[in-house]
Amino acid sequence: MRKPLAWGLLCALSPCLSRSLLAQERTTVGGYGEVHYTNATGPNTPGIANLARFVVYLAHGFNDRLAFRSELEVENAKLEGGKAGGEVSLEQAYLDYRVADALTIRTGLVLAPIGIINETHEPPTFNGVGRPGFDHDVIPTTWREIGIGAVGTIPGGAGLAYRVYLVNGLKAEGFDAVEGIREGRQEGQNASFTNPSFTGRLEWARPGLKIGGSFWYGGSADTNTAVGTGTFAAPVTLLSADARFDLGALALRGVIANISIGDAEAVNTVFGQSIGSRIAGGYLEGAYDVLHLLAPASSQRLRAFARYERYDTQADVPTGVTRDPSLARRITTMGLTYKPTWNVAFKGDYQLVRNAAGVGEYDVLSLGVGYQF
Amino acid sequence: MIALTLLLLTAQNPAAPPAKLAASIARLFGPDARSDTLRVDSARVLRVSRGDSLLGFAQVGNVLGKDQPITFLVAIDVADRLKDVDILVYRESYGGEVAYEPWRKQFRGHVAGDSLRVGKEIRNISGATISVHAVTLAVRRMLADLTAWHRSGAIR
Repeated sequence: MRKPLAWGLLCALSPCLSRSLLAQERTTVGGYGEVHYTNATGPNTPGIANLARFVVYLAHGFNDRLAFRSELEVENAKLEGGKAGGEVSLEQAYLDYRVADALTIRTGLVLAPIGIINETHEPPTFNGVGRPGFDHDVIPTTWREIGIGAVGTIPGGAGLAYRVYLVNGLKAEGFDAVEGIREGRQEGQNASFTNPSFTGRLEWARPGLKIGGSFWYGGSADTNTAVGTGTFAAPVTLLSADARFDLGALALRGVIANISIGDAEAVNTVFGQSIGSRIAGGYLEGAYDVLHLLAPASSQRLRAFARYERYDTQADVPTGVTRDPSLARRITTMGLTYKPTWNVAFKGDYQLVRNAAGVGEYDVLSLGVGYQF
Repeated sequence: MIALTLLLLTAQNPAAPPAKLAASIARLFGPDARSDTLRVDSARVLRVSRGDSLLGFAQVGNVLGKDQPITFLVAIDVADRLKDVDILVYRESYGGEVAYEPWRKQFRGHVAGDSLRVGKEIRNISGATISVHAVTLAVRRMLADLTAWHRSGAIR
């Protein structure tokens, strides 16, 4: 478990000490990380070992209602001046003011509440060494922007929760055909607020079941008048739905998303790209805990899983762009996730990376470890 | 009397607002239930009764979620069966689903020593995993404590 700096879990469990627990400010440290080994088929593709993510979670409770939370990430182990690769960035950094269970005001660098992986991205929470390709090229995880919003549970016991934020918009100058809107994210770095955008999520939960619907709407032209003028020029409209079923030994999850980019033709003309006017796709995944059969008493897990992803970053194209069928991707992933405890995972998988053009296809063998605490 | 008891309790547990605690006891044991505070070692236990008959016991505790304490209540009946779990104050940014009734009711009727494991007897909720584990472990411990104290006569 996380270690509060001021006192331990034992103290937290003891009501007699709870006066000190809450009357004082408290700082908590946590973290997660993942190491990957990948080996793709094809010429000149040696196996690569990479410390993909090392993240420190730092939170501080100022009082019973006000808390700060952050994640500071090092990607690819290091970064050196003048050399490619590596990144140090803040994944989240926000203040929460809890008014009631139905309303917490949140402000700062927040995660777009879209899909499954973007908000819940700790490696032991998902199968597969790397995140799904869909969660890179369609929903650009880890998607975070600066803004203000409200989160809470909807009173009445129906099991509904919501999150809505007003955040800085995407910048169309970063869009491209292969990765869609991914490089249009501003991620909290001197972010232009020319195109304030709205994003939100409604989700319904029951034990073993969570269903959610998410949206993003906002312009992306920034100050580039050739792309468009007005707050909502070159509008990006994202709609997504996701479901997670946890039926004991069997776990199923799926996500779909549709992204429409208005004024895509103007974006292509101005920035020399060939982006689609619509990006769409999704995935389905099923996993079965083999230990449920072999060792029913065990709290360890050995999940065999298979995932099928299908997405196209040029599902529709604007005038002037010829569809590239190699962007219509189909990725099949099969593998194992061994979890000796719920917050540590050893992973292995084999991926068949295919596309509608049959060009540049390959297979990848991946091994990895992930943890969170 | 209830008000005074709750006031004393809340003085010990600033994490549990008196109104929430009173509402929780009333919901679990009925609106006319009376609660008195008992001391066991350093812990405080609510003895809940109506007239001359004992209805059960309840205890308020805190368990660390991802970064903030979750204030919860565990109540048992006279036969030491878990009556219910209540989440009195939830301060985390995610995982608030542990307060949902369909999740909490999985604990009802269990007794100390019963296997209460996440993913087996207690189903997880995706996106609330840390809180689910924390509350499940804390409930198991509190149920064991309350039962042991009741059986030993430390609370009666």
